[in-house]
Amino acid sequence: MSFRLQVIICAAVLAVLALLIRMIWKKKIDLRYALPWLCLCVGMLILDFFPGITSWLAELMGVSLPINMMFFLGFCFCLLIIFMITMSLSRMGRKQKQLAQEMALLRRRLEEMESRTGAGENEEER
Amino acid sequence: MKKLIIIPAYNEYENLARTINDVKAHAPDYDYVIIDDCSTDGTAQLCREQGFSMIHLPVNLGIGGAVQTGYLYARERNYDIAVQIDGDGQHNTRYLKDMEKIMVSCGADMVIGSRFIKREGFQSSNLRQMGIRYFSWLIRVLTGARITDPTSGMRMVNRELIRLFAAEYPKDYPEPESVAWILKKHKQVAELPVMMNAREKGVSSISPVNSVYYMIKVTLAVILACF
Repeated sequence: MSFRLQVIICAAVLAVLALLIRMIWKKKIDLRYALPWLCLCVGMLILDFFPGITSWLAELMGVSLPINMMFFLGFCFCLLIIFMITMSLSRMGRKQKQLAQEMALLRRRLEEMESRTGAGENEEER
Repeated sequence: MKKLIIIPAYNEYENLARTINDVKAHAPDYDYVIIDDCSTDGTAQLCREQGFSMIHLPVNLGIGGAVQTGYLYARERNYDIAVQIDGDGQHNTRYLKDMEKIMVSCGADMVIGSRFIKREGFQSSNLRQMGIRYFSWLIRVLTGARITDPTSGMRMVNRELIRLFAAEYPKDYPEPESVAWILKKHKQVAELPVMMNAREKGVSSISPVNSVYYMIKVTLAVILACF
């Protein structure tokens, strides 16, 4: 890897890192969900500073080209993130269902109380 | 004894009034509640105008979430028996008394209204019957219990199952999965032969397009429910 490429990658990753931290700071993304991306940035910086690691890893796993090793790692990282999203989506769906049910039951209760006291008669005026 | 009829309804504007009149005529000793799953055809307005007892869901949850809302309601108000019937009018409420009797005499936790014991009344298409028979076979292999109509939406449950279903109920296509689940929990399930009507208006929730998804999803769900 040429020194020029190392500098370019380093600059790009630092820019992304700055953007990420800014977004976390402004509460645009949760730290919880930003964490994997932060880890990615740090990992990329390490590999950028010590390109030897990539070559060593590629040789260790029997991948002939270090760049293919990078593609493979990137792919694994994407799968991991997508899987995490699937998990949190399921969790959110469940919570959303519980909220909707709770709300529907409360509304029913409210309607019953209103019809008993006659308080709901002015509803049209709102 | 407090008894509740749970009627999940999604876009059943045209069938609902008939269903409710049937309930009022044949099951006067039952309370009923319509769960309007955020219908877009004015089902909620119809219920308000007619003074039908209704719970309106603020977002569409699908059949499982809607039915579970009914069980939550039943648990909240301490009902002893809850029975699900569909909002499209395909279930006859005149069978409820017999279902109750079977529940007591067999000591069952759940009584299913089955089309396929006497094979009378509306029998569904051949393809669907094959699917139903397949689920029936699957449940027998996995649990040893013989359920002739595992997809029937006409089901009566006791207080214990009201609590179970209020806490946990499958999201979509819930019937076979929930039956398998409670069988594995060693609950007793009995069946009563009933006649069902073909739905008069509106469309079934299972179209040919998503029937493949249905078969695969329910198969996996039933298998997972058994372990």
